[in-house]
Amino acid sequence: MYSDAVIRHALDASRAGELVPHGAVGRAGDAACGDTVEIELRVEDDTVTEARHRSLACPHGTAAAALLCELVEGRDLLDAARIGQSDLDAALTPREGNRECLAVAVDALHAAIAAALQDGRLPLADGRIAVAMSGGVDSAVALLKAVEAGHEPVGVTLRLWIDPAAPDSERACCSPSSVRAARSACHALDVPHVTLDLREGFRRAVVEEFVGAHRRGLTPNPCVRCNGSFRFDALIGFADRIGAPRLATGHYARVVRRDGRALLARGADPAKDQSYMLASVSTEILARVWFPLGEQHKTATRAEARQAGLAAAGRAESQEVCFVGGGDHRDFLARHGGAGPAGEIVDEAGRVIGMHEGVHRFTAGQRRGLGVGGGPALYVLRTETATGRVVAGDRSKLAVRRVRVSPGEVFVPVDHALVRLRYRGAPVPARVVPAGDGFELELEEPAYGVAAGQAAVLYDGDTVVGAGRIASSGASVR
Amino acid sequence: MSSVYLDHAATSPLCTEAQEAMEPFLSSRFGNPSEPHRMGREARTAIEGARRTMAELLGCRPEQIVYTSGGTEADNQAVFGLCGRPLGRLVCSVIEHPAVRAPAEELARQGFEVGWAPVDVNGVIDPAAFAELVRADDRVACAMWANNVTGVVQPVAELAAIAASHGVPLHVDAVQAAASIPISFAASGAETMALSAHKVQGPKGVGALIARDPGRLRPLIWGGGQEAGHRSGTENVPGIVGFAAALAASRERRDGRRRLRDRLEAGVGAVPVVSAGASRLPGHVLLRIDGLRADLVVLALDEAGYEVSAGSACSAGSMEPSAALVAQGMTPDEARAVIRVTIGPHTTGAEIDGFLEALRAIVLRLRSGALA
Repeated sequence: MYSDAVIRHALDASRAGELVPHGAVGRAGDAACGDTVEIELRVEDDTVTEARHRSLACPHGTAAAALLCELVEGRDLLDAARIGQSDLDAALTPREGNRECLAVAVDALHAAIAAALQDGRLPLADGRIAVAMSGGVDSAVALLKAVEAGHEPVGVTLRLWIDPAAPDSERACCSPSSVRAARSACHALDVPHVTLDLREGFRRAVVEEFVGAHRRGLTPNPCVRCNGSFRFDALIGFADRIGAPRLATGHYARVVRRDGRALLARGADPAKDQSYMLASVSTEILARVWFPLGEQHKTATRAEARQAGLAAAGRAESQEVCFVGGGDHRDFLARHGGAGPAGEIVDEAGRVIGMHEGVHRFTAGQRRGLGVGGGPALYVLRTETATGRVVAGDRSKLAVRRVRVSPGEVFVPVDHALVRLRYRGAPVPARVVPAGDGFELELEEPAYGVAAGQAAVLYDGDTVVGAGRIASSGASVR
Repeated sequence: MSSVYLDHAATSPLCTEAQEAMEPFLSSRFGNPSEPHRMGREARTAIEGARRTMAELLGCRPEQIVYTSGGTEADNQAVFGLCGRPLGRLVCSVIEHPAVRAPAEELARQGFEVGWAPVDVNGVIDPAAFAELVRADDRVACAMWANNVTGVVQPVAELAAIAASHGVPLHVDAVQAAASIPISFAASGAETMALSAHKVQGPKGVGALIARDPGRLRPLIWGGGQEAGHRSGTENVPGIVGFAAALAASRERRDGRRRLRDRLEAGVGAVPVVSAGASRLPGHVLLRIDGLRADLVVLALDEAGYEVSAGSACSAGSMEPSAALVAQGMTPDEARAVIRVTIGPHTTGAEIDGFLEALRAIVLRLRSGALA
């Protein structure tokens, strides 16, 4: 049923319609009920001077849209980004089950704010800092630290593409529910929050690249690529537009200076260190980045979240590639044309020892899923996309002593480094030799399960001194 | 400002005849009909008189009427009572009121097989499809006399003949139809039929199940053995008396609803009338206000002093477009744009004209804020 306030605002048509000429438009739809709301903002000197709404929505959604237009007028853009669900709850007093019906209008307002910010550029403000918010506990605590440090934080969430056919696309981070969690984490601290809808760009830059690389028989690391050439570019671009000199994220990593250059370093928590995933972020961006959680352990983060009563304290986190949306990335590939042909499993002599359902399901060093019983343990040595064959053999045959990294970059001159050849892989000491558009690594001890397409990250102590993509590898040092 | 009530299908005002008939049983004549003393005997006489009146009006024998707490209980009693145990199969039209559909779905959860009979684009149960679905060992087939949302009158006699040819009992929900159609149980060919008093200008809280043989139905409610053991619980004496009085009065009343409906439909201009091609209850008009949500239009009409209802209702975050409207081929957005206007016996032409004017203004105003 409807509260009196819902009825009054739903029937108040004074801000229904459109602006002439048009302003910044935001549109949101609720998949569950089919309601759609559009909100349009006229922004002059970074202040919302006029707002209008159009909708195909129930009385709750319509009332929410009308009220948001009323609330947003007269506010500057960042102050407008403080408006959220709790403002509606207070003014419209919906019953518990109807709170969801208001959310679609909040999404529309925030889409309009993002569109308005896209069009303009706020003047530089010294203490301002953009804080990347995922909806999870790490970014919520990073935000808390930014507030406590006396900064002027502005939360930003990238809404990225998630496979709509995935088993639990709604639970993945960057899903609409994560966006709402991120927004309410900001609003709980009276911090503005902006959502950037980058679904299409992300799909093209990261997802298609991932599928394509698999099709070419590589084992890509989409997170390294995303951070290096998509996510941080988008975040720093946002920081620029809102006049923020700096950017904070909730990653477990640190930024150190060497020879006046900003370099990445391992986070203090060895179990959570995310420096490998961030290794491709450019030094120009790192110079402006702050990782508030870099000096602490995850357990401390959880404790701080609980102590501060943050809603995100209890949120589960996912480790799988975000756009896969739950389930297995192999099933994702099968759904999106990245599946390789089915074929034979052969030994090194070319003898057929089994059959498999698709080369995309295998990567060098993999032991599970071969389904070849009896005899000594077998490992995938390599996959051949052209013939559809998976070559399996003894683990000793996986030993790699030489790795070519291309493209790759050594940030500070080093002869030797510890190299990490996959996420959570043990670092191996290596000689580093510049070569072509990357470098060659001569490993001082063998590495196993080295797959083309993965990232190679060089460490000097805790500091990341180089990174690139593994192009090929070999058993012997020349 | 007093409002104009145009939602008679939801419920109808208590008529004077029913009110007067009930009055003594709400005050001085409060006896329990199971008691042998004078007060008890008076009450007993009253409900048995009501039963005879209704039997005569409805074309059945008095002992075939079992009074219930309302239409929903009567429907539940019929469906569960006829299906019984062991597990088996039943047929149910896709447009049944939730009082029939939900019991069928519950039986499906328990392991029954349910054959769902479809409707055509006007919302009429398709007899050919119905005939193909019904099988000789079905426990019951359910088809309503007239749909509560659309008002579309169903080919009940034809469906009953089909069911009978397989020896399958037909349950007919006549709750909505009884306000407008001189229902005859005997002529319908139904095995069981459900009625509700408040839809025929009687009181709320009383209904009736008419059964060819009530003894065939295992009771839902057990207790003191009232209603010949078919439905325990002290009888709702004022309710039953009011029900009979209201039904009798409805059969006497001159019905101007069809004429008012024509007037309304002639005045809506380009607004589509739902199920216009079907035989409908005389007071029923469904209008599809494309581009708007019906529940918003309903609120705006209410503000303007006209009480109507939405064809589909939103419940707590999840929008359920009316099953009856979707079943006849509407998209969810179309189903959610339907408002239901139901005219009563005392509705006037001036009220219809006022409604039309209010609707025009509201549609104009709300469409200015609609998505292109």
